[in-house]
Amino acid sequence: MHAYANPARFLKIARPLTGLLGLVGGTMLILCVAYGVLFGPADYLQGETVRIMYIHVPAAWLGMAGWSGIAVASAMQLIWRHPLAGVAGRACALPGAVFAAICLATGSIWGRPTWGTWWEWDGRLTSMLVLFFLYLAYMALSRAEREADGETSGEGRMTAIFGLIGAINLPIIHYSVLWWRTLHQGQSISVMKGSSIDASMLWPLLGAAVGASLLFGAIVLMRMRAELADTKLEMRMRRLAAL
Amino acid sequence: MNQWDFVIAAYGVSVPALGWLVLVSFNQMRRAEQAVDEMMRGRK
Amino acid sequence: MKAKNQRLFLIILAAVAMLGAVVLAMSGLKDQAAYFYAPSDVLRNPPALDRDVRLGGMVRKGSVKKLADGVTLRFVVEDERHAIPVEFKGIVPDLFREGSGVVAEGKFVTPDQFVASNILAKHDERYMPPQMAGDKHKTGRVS
Repeated sequence: MHAYANPARFLKIARPLTGLLGLVGGTMLILCVAYGVLFGPADYLQGETVRIMYIHVPAAWLGMAGWSGIAVASAMQLIWRHPLAGVAGRACALPGAVFAAICLATGSIWGRPTWGTWWEWDGRLTSMLVLFFLYLAYMALSRAEREADGETSGEGRMTAIFGLIGAINLPIIHYSVLWWRTLHQGQSISVMKGSSIDASMLWPLLGAAVGASLLFGAIVLMRMRAELADTKLEMRMRRLAAL
Repeated sequence: MNQWDFVIAAYGVSVPALGWLVLVSFNQMRRAEQAVDEMMRGRK
Repeated sequence: MKAKNQRLFLIILAAVAMLGAVVLAMSGLKDQAAYFYAPSDVLRNPPALDRDVRLGGMVRKGSVKKLADGVTLRFVVEDERHAIPVEFKGIVPDLFREGSGVVAEGKFVTPDQFVASNILAKHDERYMPPQMAGDKHKTGRVS
């Protein structure tokens, strides 16, 4: 695990990987969403509005995956003191927040023609909104902490602890529709029970999800590279100032 | 409202949001790495 | 114990404790966090009359009737154990169908009569093209 702890070695792999993931993921996302929206079938009940699914569902998954990434990185940072873990965790925050916001916005737009409401405070919608606010808090905290102890190391220990604690919202989001009565429907895709989405809609949806995940990976790499370069510059400045 | 209006609205929100995310992240990375490259060149 | 293992142990312990707390809280809050009453909940634990509540369940097939005034609907919301007649004046969402899910916001005027001020449609987790669904759902359409 520590083999890639060396930023130089990490960058050697990250540099070509960023473009590769971005291009493959972006292309896949666009093609699958376009296929679903333009050529996929309408739904027997909802009609055309079901096409919002191709962005709503991948955005929901990645909004949650982003915080899973933060939680795993935070654990690696706190337990093994992995030098890149903090950087990786912080890099997940903005893309996670944007995907969570897309999930909320498209869900609201989808809710109006299907349920008859833009917003309702049911368990699923509320817990997803909480996730979005957790991202905002995490970003504010990481920035504040970096400015506060930039002198010492900028390790971001508080941020990592917050990242771990915030992870308790993930099972709440997931199980909200199973354990509580909600307006949001139950889960359509599960490992145990398979999918209740017809194959003609499921394949473009899964393709879009994979594409969005790869794109997410590319964005995380970009943000990690930006922070590593910024840190390098800062260190240099400080050394010059100390002379 | 037509059902398609909602579909268009949903993607009308999502596409700019994703585009902004990619652009902002890419620019931050490029600017920071260019600054590092210049610094390294200056040191030689 | 090495410091690294100690930290690992502590974090796993904290994670297990937090997960336990969440599971307990979620099951404890099951009733409070419920977005609506199902008909069988009403049977078990009836809400006060004239209090704003939500009633959710399936619209019984064949129960939707439009009254002579043209704007008032009467239908029955049911689950496996209980059924409650609902009256509503206004416009329902497109997805309000017989045999499909519904959430009605309103009040119980008597224990056996609910008056809704707003109707939301609740659909299930199945998505499929119309030709696959056959005429299973078309018959239930409320015009």
